[in-house]
Amino acid sequence: MTDTAILQVENIRKRFGDAEVLKGISFSLNRGETKVVVGPSGSGKSTLLRCINRLTSPDSGKVLLAEEEVKEANIDSIRSRMGFVFQDFNLFAHLTVLDNIRICQTKVKGVAHDEATQRAYHELERVGLSDRGGAYPAELSGGQQQRVSIARALAMDPVVMLFDEPTSALDPELTGEVVKVMQQLAEEGMTMVVVTHEMSFARQAADEVIFMEGGHIVEQGAPDLLFSRASNERTRAFLNVIAENG
Amino acid sequence: MGIYEVLVRDFPFLLKGLGVALILLAALLVIGFVLGLAMCLIQLYGPRTRLVQWPLIAYERVFRGIPIIIMLFIFYYGLAGLLDITSFAAAILALGFRSAAYQSQIFRSAFQSVPTGQMTAARAMGMSKTRAIRYILFPQAMRYAIGPWTNEFSSEIKETSLAYVIGVVELTRQAHYIISSTQGNVLIVFAVVALMYFIVNKSGNSLLYGLERKLAVPGFGKR
Repeated sequence: MTDTAILQVENIRKRFGDAEVLKGISFSLNRGETKVVVGPSGSGKSTLLRCINRLTSPDSGKVLLAEEEVKEANIDSIRSRMGFVFQDFNLFAHLTVLDNIRICQTKVKGVAHDEATQRAYHELERVGLSDRGGAYPAELSGGQQQRVSIARALAMDPVVMLFDEPTSALDPELTGEVVKVMQQLAEEGMTMVVVTHEMSFARQAADEVIFMEGGHIVEQGAPDLLFSRASNERTRAFLNVIAENG
Repeated sequence: MGIYEVLVRDFPFLLKGLGVALILLAALLVIGFVLGLAMCLIQLYGPRTRLVQWPLIAYERVFRGIPIIIMLFIFYYGLAGLLDITSFAAAILALGFRSAAYQSQIFRSAFQSVPTGQMTAARAMGMSKTRAIRYILFPQAMRYAIGPWTNEFSSEIKETSLAYVIGVVELTRQAHYIISSTQGNVLIVFAVVALMYFIVNKSGNSLLYGLERKLAVPGFGKR
């Protein structure tokens, strides 16, 4: 724990029925850092991410955002400072792109309408969609929808962004545009935790890669270290499979 | 005096009867909307305790399970002993409470049609549950509800004629008065009245279809 740690995850455990999905996960994140969580399906990556902002409540353990403990009582305030990007986008289907980005600014943070509009256009520009403000989600491609959902999260001025397999629901030819936006964010110094199978993103943008399996962190380290000579056999096997298929 | 002259002379009474029917319709639909929406929201998002949920289920079963004529008699004659209630008020309450049971079902299935990710996304951005329902789920659910609700509207305009049995002077009873005073002409008088119900029904449906088109958003199923 350093004094610059903006997000601390301490000994998170979560059980669904008989299955213990998270068996005591701890890590911390400094301001401006990007951590990429990889691992086979069912290793608990998404559950971990959801335990951080309590979309799933952990059975035990602590999460601290800027030294403030995340609890049921302060959860809405915490979440308004934690961007979350879903695998299946979850844009609000009845609202235009512009309103999708405005609504949480105005209804959660109390930002004035005009200011929210300006911010929305600014974020749309950042993700390369400034001309699609009037479109409805159903009129956009998956890649565009995901970029809007990133813009929607950014407009809340988050301290940290959590990405839950943001490219897994996309056709292969659409993943690139989303990965590019995420890379650009990482370069701009956004603090991010990214669950993904995009190894190119991990290699280029991650400050640290966390390899999870069976509810444990098996290994963590700088991407070039982990990719070239993982000390753990499981990590090596997983990365090899991914490298062959990805 | 032929029946056509009588119809022309007494048409204002039919219009007055129609007016009563429309007020009855509006009142019962409003009661049904407000109560039905409240019940649906409590059923879906309220406390899950039996103390709260069981009375709602019982309400729904009772009001959907008893013939409306019996319900009208119970509200009029039954409540008359407790409250000084007019037949018009009794009809509004009986029909309104029953409509609430039906409308709560319409709204419940509409809210359940909204994908769960919508609520999750709203909550993940720090929106409270109440606000998420108000700003994210409600507008989407209403778009799903408007089709079945049009159906409910159509049923209820017709059901207002049942208020006849407890003596509400609505359109059907006005028609009956004309028939009694002219000894016969059942067919022609009821044909005129049928046409009046039909026109109101058709216009209401057109308005609701118009509203549906106005609210249409790409991605929501259209009929």
